[in-house]
Amino acid sequence: MSIKPARLGRLLAATLLTGCGANPSGTPPSYSDNDLVLVTRFAAKTMCSCVFVMLQTDAYCALYAKQAPAVATFRVDKTKKTVAASALFLWSGRAHFVNAQEGCVLE
Amino acid sequence: MTPGPGRALSLAVLLLVGGSSRAADPSCPVVALWPTQGWLIEANDTGAAHLAAVAALESYAFTLTGKEEARVGIRTDAVLIVHQGKIIYEKYGHGWNGLQRHEGWSVAKSVSATLLGIAVQRGAMTLEDSICKSLPSLPAKSCGVKVGHLREFASGFDFSEVYENRGNQASSTIAMLYGEGHADMAGFVANHTLSHPPGTWFNYSSGDATLLAATVDGALLPSLGKGYPWTLLFNPLGMTSAVFERDLESHLVGGAYFYATARDYAKLGYLWRHDGCWTGQRLLPSGYMRDSVQVTDAYRANPESDGVQGRQFWINVAVADRQIKQPWPDAPADAFSAIGHWGQYVTVIPSRDLIIVRLGDDRDDTFDLNRFLKLALAVSP
Repeated sequence: MSIKPARLGRLLAATLLTGCGANPSGTPPSYSDNDLVLVTRFAAKTMCSCVFVMLQTDAYCALYAKQAPAVATFRVDKTKKTVAASALFLWSGRAHFVNAQEGCVLE
Repeated sequence: MTPGPGRALSLAVLLLVGGSSRAADPSCPVVALWPTQGWLIEANDTGAAHLAAVAALESYAFTLTGKEEARVGIRTDAVLIVHQGKIIYEKYGHGWNGLQRHEGWSVAKSVSATLLGIAVQRGAMTLEDSICKSLPSLPAKSCGVKVGHLREFASGFDFSEVYENRGNQASSTIAMLYGEGHADMAGFVANHTLSHPPGTWFNYSSGDATLLAATVDGALLPSLGKGYPWTLLFNPLGMTSAVFERDLESHLVGGAYFYATARDYAKLGYLWRHDGCWTGQRLLPSGYMRDSVQVTDAYRANPESDGVQGRQFWINVAVADRQIKQPWPDAPADAFSAIGHWGQYVTVIPSRDLIIVRLGDDRDDTFDLNRFLKLALAVSP
């Protein structure tokens, strides 16, 4: 089966629809974080890099970092250069801009 | 002090070789143009045949379909074609311009392999080194893996790249980037079970590429600092836009998080096209790029059906004994490409002296690299 990362976004989207935290196959390797944690962290990191590294607009980046269904909302602090993302008020991800060489890091 | 004639001559020679003050390495190709200070632009061909070829390329690459929020179809942000060291075609779309850095995703893997080659050329590491040599805190069970195995995506770690129709919890890549592995990605990768003996089994893995970059960090960062990718690679090439992100352990996220402008991606392609030499100086070992585009024994043992991988580069050869067809039949067999998620391609075609950069934001699988390269080749001399 295909193993390119080109399907990462779709996989995140598809598995959000199939239920949180479930591992359908049940075979190793298996990891502990549930889908909402993963999606909000993805959203925070991707939004941070889009705004502060790619220098795109907030509107462009919100769409760029969006996963379907769009459960994540963003809080971008242009002064501190941080992005916080939350989904369904339950989980949050946070990323910050480090410097001009190292871009953003997921906290 | 006023420069005398001799000084002026020296300056002229320096400019001609792109700013290098050292004698050219005889193993490096003699190249007329080096774009360290910026690319020269070739005057547009206004012939009817060329204009028709451009129209066909743009019709394919730059026609957006559907609403922006639907994110469907071919969504090209940039196409840049370099021939014989000059830009012959450059166009941006989808709201992008040449000053913005674009995410390269897995193009980072080829950049990491380039940094590895630089470390080898400098004598700081060898491909035969255990991964534990430069990263001594890795688990002992992983120390049989060599740096060269990572370069071949053949660590043997039971690392699962994305599998469709399986949960996020089964994807090692998602766990590494956004889950339990995100703080210390190298440690996360090396703690996986070895499901195959190192060096025997190809498995395209963002884990192997990220661990590879971390081993280079381990070898170079203590003496050169975190800026070594700039000191040794990006600055010599004049890649002023380059950004390479790190995890919380300060290791490069070598499998995924690299950014640059289209013109700077093309400089990487120009380095790869010229055997890892720049302005007559050898950055990569002699033969390193040749080996980067060869099919490995590990790949033959477990070939992938939708692409042929060399060593951190996708290559355009058939593997007949494994029933693998040539991936891009409308491009020359020596074409190779650094390819990333959502439509990033830095393709080098040495036999045509071409670098073809295509950056995009494709969210489905409709973009066809073979078709695109065919159209881009028609635009090129």
